Amino acid sequence: MSVLYLRDRWFEDLPIGEFHVFGSHTFSELEIVEFAEAFDPRPQSTDPVQARLNHRQGLVASPWLITAMWMRKMVDYMEVYAQGVNDGRRNGAGVAINDLQWLDPVRPGHTLTYTYEIIAKPDRVIRQKWGLIRSRNEAFNQYGNKVMQFEIDILAERRP
Amino acid sequence: MTTSPTADGHLNSEPITLDKSAIVDFASRFDPQPYHLDADAAEQSIFGGLCASGWHIAALATRLVSETLLQNGHPFVEMISVSQLNWSRPTFVDEQISVRIALDASFSESPIPDTHAQNLQVDVCNGDGAVVATMSVTAAIAAEPNPGAPQ
Repeated sequence: MSVLYLRDRWFEDLPIGEFHVFGSHTFSELEIVEFAEAFDPRPQSTDPVQARLNHRQGLVASPWLITAMWMRKMVDYMEVYAQGVNDGRRNGAGVAINDLQWLDPVRPGHTLTYTYEIIAKPDRVIRQKWGLIRSRNEAFNQYGNKVMQFEIDILAERRP
Repeated sequence: MTTSPTADGHLNSEPITLDKSAIVDFASRFDPQPYHLDADAAEQSIFGGLCASGWHIAALATRLVSETLLQNGHPFVEMISVSQLNWSRPTFVDEQISVRIALDASFSESPIPDTHAQNLQVDVCNGDGAVVATMSVTAAIAAEPNPGAPQ
C-alpha cells in the first residue's frame, strides 16, 4: 500500500517552506459583474460602459472576487488530498489575515495563478487542540505580475 | 436611509440579515466547505452550526462601509489594502450584521487618480452587538466630492 503523505498530516507534520501552485482561473465579464452586483457594487465592477469612463478605464474585478476565488481554488485543491480523511486533519478555519494588498487590476479575460507557502508556525495552542499555520498567498496574472498578496493564519489540528 | 455619526464619532451602517440561502449560495460558489453548506455537517464542525464564509462577511462589510461612507459625504471609490482582518466569531443563519466605522482624520497619497487614501477601522457586529470581525482598511476616497457625478 502506498503512503499518501499529503493526505495524512497533522499540525506537527506541516513544514515551513512548503510551497504549492494550487490553482488558476480566468475571470469572465459576467462573473465580474455578477459578483460585484451581489456583494460589492462599485461602478468600476458592475457597469462595463460606465467603467470605461472612470479611474480604471475599463471593467475590473472586485478585490473580494479575487480573494473569494483564492478560497475556491484552495478548497478544491485541498479536497483532492483530503479524500478518505474524515478527522481533524481537514477543515480547519482561517482566523486572521495580515497585509492584504491588491496590486494590479484584474480585468475580463485575465488569468490568475494562485500560490501558497507556509512561512511560520506561531507558538500558540488554541482550545487545547489547534495550532496555527501561517502562509503567504499570492496571485499572479498572465503577464507574471503579482496582483494580490496576503498572509493568513489557519487552524490545523495537533496530533491527538 | 441615512445614518449619522454617533457621539463618539463612529459611523454605523444599517444591518443586513444573512439567511440560509445567501450563506449557501456564496459558499457553494467560493467556499464549499461542509460548515458553510450543510447544517448537519456544520453541527459536528469547529463552528457548531451552519455559518457564513469569512470572505462573504468581508465583502458584505465592504458594501456596508461603502454605502455608509457615501451617505456621510465620504465617497468611497475602492479598497486599496487591508492591513489586518480578524474573524472572531461565526455568523450563523438569520443573524444580522452591521459595521461600525472609525475614520482616521489624516489623508495620505493614493495610487488611484483623484482620490486620497484614508485609514478606517471597521468592526463588523452581529445583532447582539458582538464583534464578529474587524478590518483595518486603507480606502480610496474621492478627493473632491461631486454630488452631480454618476456614482
